[in-house]
Amino acid sequence: MARVQMMEQRSAAPTTPSGNLLLGLVALGTVFMLLMGLLGTIKTGALFNEANLLFAALTFYAASTVLYIGFAVTGTERFVRFAWLATWVGFVSNTLAGAHRWYTAGHAPFSSVYEMLLAFIWAVAALTLFVQRKYGVKVIGTITMPVAVVGVVLMQLLPSDVHPLVPALQSTWLHIHVTLAMLSYAACAVSFALAMMFLIQDNMRTESFLANTSGLVALIYAGVLGRFAGGGLKVVAQNPQTGGDLMIQRGMPLMVVIPDLGWLFAIVLLALLAPLVLYAWAAWKHDDRGYVWANRAFVISMVLQALAAVAFVFRVRGGQYASPMVEGVFPTALANSPFILAGLLSGLLASLLYLMLSWRREGLQQMLPAADTLDRLTYKSIGIAFPLLTLMIAAGAYWANQTWGSYWSWDPKETAALVTWLVYAGYLHMRIARGWRGRRAAYFAVLGFAVVMFTFFGVTYLLPGLHAYA
Amino acid sequence: MAAQARSTRDKIWQVFGSVRTGIILLIVVGLAVMAGTLILQRPITEPSKLHQVYSPETLRLLDALRLTDVFHSWWFVLLLSLLSANIVVASIERFPAAWRYFSHPARRAEPHFFASLAMKRAIPLRSSRVDMEKVELAFRRAGWKPQYVSDDHGSVSLYAERFRIARMAPFVVHASLLLILAGGIIDGLFGYKGFISLGQNESTSQLELPDGTHKALPFAIRCDGAGQENYPDGTPKRWWSRLAVLENGREMQRKEIVVNDPLTYRGLRFYQASYGATGEVAGVKLLVTPKNGGPKQEFWLKLDEAVPLDKDATVRITQFVPDFVVVENHIESRSDQPNNPAVQISVQSKQAGETRIWLFPRFPEFTHANNTGFDFRVGDVQMGYFTGLQVSHEPGQWAVWAGVILMGVALALVFYFVHVRLWALPVDDGMGRLTLWLGASASKNREDFERRFRALVDAVEHELKAQDSAAKLQRAELAVVK
Repeated sequence: MARVQMMEQRSAAPTTPSGNLLLGLVALGTVFMLLMGLLGTIKTGALFNEANLLFAALTFYAASTVLYIGFAVTGTERFVRFAWLATWVGFVSNTLAGAHRWYTAGHAPFSSVYEMLLAFIWAVAALTLFVQRKYGVKVIGTITMPVAVVGVVLMQLLPSDVHPLVPALQSTWLHIHVTLAMLSYAACAVSFALAMMFLIQDNMRTESFLANTSGLVALIYAGVLGRFAGGGLKVVAQNPQTGGDLMIQRGMPLMVVIPDLGWLFAIVLLALLAPLVLYAWAAWKHDDRGYVWANRAFVISMVLQALAAVAFVFRVRGGQYASPMVEGVFPTALANSPFILAGLLSGLLASLLYLMLSWRREGLQQMLPAADTLDRLTYKSIGIAFPLLTLMIAAGAYWANQTWGSYWSWDPKETAALVTWLVYAGYLHMRIARGWRGRRAAYFAVLGFAVVMFTFFGVTYLLPGLHAYA
Repeated sequence: MAAQARSTRDKIWQVFGSVRTGIILLIVVGLAVMAGTLILQRPITEPSKLHQVYSPETLRLLDALRLTDVFHSWWFVLLLSLLSANIVVASIERFPAAWRYFSHPARRAEPHFFASLAMKRAIPLRSSRVDMEKVELAFRRAGWKPQYVSDDHGSVSLYAERFRIARMAPFVVHASLLLILAGGIIDGLFGYKGFISLGQNESTSQLELPDGTHKALPFAIRCDGAGQENYPDGTPKRWWSRLAVLENGREMQRKEIVVNDPLTYRGLRFYQASYGATGEVAGVKLLVTPKNGGPKQEFWLKLDEAVPLDKDATVRITQFVPDFVVVENHIESRSDQPNNPAVQISVQSKQAGETRIWLFPRFPEFTHANNTGFDFRVGDVQMGYFTGLQVSHEPGQWAVWAGVILMGVALALVFYFVHVRLWALPVDDGMGRLTLWLGASASKNREDFERRFRALVDAVEHELKAQDSAAKLQRAELAVVK
């Protein structure tokens, strides 16, 4: 009770001097990053090129992420003002980077995963600014900006060369299709953030968040462990000449095994399953001590996650490892394992967001709009996403019809997009049916975004198909 | 008994038409599509890949459950049929009420209806009559087009509305979905796909179907040329084919097709699908120099085409190897690319009989001297190519595109157009005191509309106050006159 009162006091007096430390640190970090970037540009002499602009966007998005999280944790209003500013500056740099690329490539930046991420992050930032401005949901950036940061980090690793368009991609419908996709996916990201806030505001138990977070991160690690090989971890080797993947034959990269890393990842997976087991036990026995232990286990798993991520980065960067397929040692680089790295980063960020929630639940609930409002806003954002998603699928079908002579060929990318569409259709019908509103609908919104992410990344990198361009 | 049977039927009907059933079906269809995404599907996977990924037992189980071809399995079709039935039944259930609502809007609001409205306001009036024209003016200033409605007792009220069509939009969305499915079914039943491979100047009316059989077309298609253009870095930029349609020997249509731009004739579309070398020679340019100092000759030769050199001798090409190599005393070709072409010609002479000579365009010095009286050189080699055309007949696609457009429009109506209604009704409380009731309803986004409603109420109040004071002034004047 006393704690709640204290929180109220703090959020009632938003201009407390506390928070200067974080602001100072963020400012220092931003200046440092920009200086580092400037030092790099002195060598090349070009200041306003795409790479630098993107680096600036990354810097400011990262700053705004820290400030948004800082706001969510402490409730200091000033953080939001600076986060808003940082997001704007990042957004402008992002826009300029996209424009620069469009100008140099001579076609709209929608033809590779790199270029689509550029558009996706742009749309996420734009919608974050819009939702905060129009609906006053200040905490939205706490969830959407980390997504943008992971996206920009991923872009730094992906091959960014401008390729001329292969014949099948020379179509106006491609631009329409991809623009619609990125806009609708960004709207899905926003609806996901709003649905999460709804669940917080709707008094979903903190323990349920714990179980879901550890389950999600465990899934990421289980996915990565698909590369487990005799205690090691298989990663793609780098082609020293091009910097790209080393290929044995078309569509088959050479894998090398980093010894012992597999075990480390397996331990992290076990550590992530521990809170799940403890949670299940506590729920079954109605014993609250189980939840306490589950929380402790989760903190331990987070430490291990950080360890695993650091170990992964240090061992993959500039490493030389043997391959089970071909004799000899081959170099590795982070650029050839962008999706494992992005997975690890996302896991860490998701865990951080959970920790923030478990520490500051009451404070957060005070800062958030009412549950009804969040439910309505989730519906509104899906009201934007769903028609765009429909038209995106239609434009893609029309394009396929122009190129391959069939508008629907049950290709994995098409079917995954269909699943997304079905999930959101389910969400919309849930809001109509009485008794299925609120929480169940919010679950659907969260699930919808998970499927979107799977369609965007998973299908591209895990499943083969016609949609080989992206 | 009969009543019971009917109630069971009603129950089934109700279950079928409920949103709950719809959601459950959506979830199940979603799971099925997910399975079809994650499990390798036979139609789009090489059989060897399937055997590599799944163990024989797993594969047998997956095949038995039709999980290796989800989208053509009977149970997937059944699921889609159930979903369609759910849409149809739910629409039939809800349509009559919605249609009544649409075709007979409640223009006149009765007091009990007013009581049920979420947005309403009562403005007490001081005078015993209300000037509805003032209210109408306020409505019009706020951008509404109200209409007068009078009941049997002659009392007049105002009604205004906007975007009534939004009420019908959900039905249109579902109908458009059924239209798209219908297009898909038509194509599944009557559509077909095939492949045609043509070399230059070849024509055919035979379509190769995916199962290996052939289908005869009522017309023929001829390739007048095809080619590839590259970017400076060597990646392909453009593939093109010049096609002509022949019907009963007459040329009906001509078009240069490229990827993304097919030729359409009689509902069949011809797409540029592939392009490549056949590995065979289309023509060799031969340079002939007579040893006795006669005139030089230069001509194009096809394989096995005999051309006279003089009155006595003829020449023809007997063999062509695109990428010449000798392996263990055998002539072989390393590839289909003309990297090291070799041409064997045969000179037939009445006096000297047949002489065979190998010519190497890249290495002219390798050719041995011959006693035919001629020197032979290869001037140019043109390789044969083929253009691969994907052919498809999709009679249902127009239903699909119509459905897609309809759905886009209807979804826009569903999400961005709100049916809003406004009523203004003067109510006499029986003691000569008059109250103006203002009420409104919005099909969604009520919070946004409520703000506009409040502004309108204020505007109406303002107008009426002006009227009141005008009336007072009038009365005062009258008093003075009296």
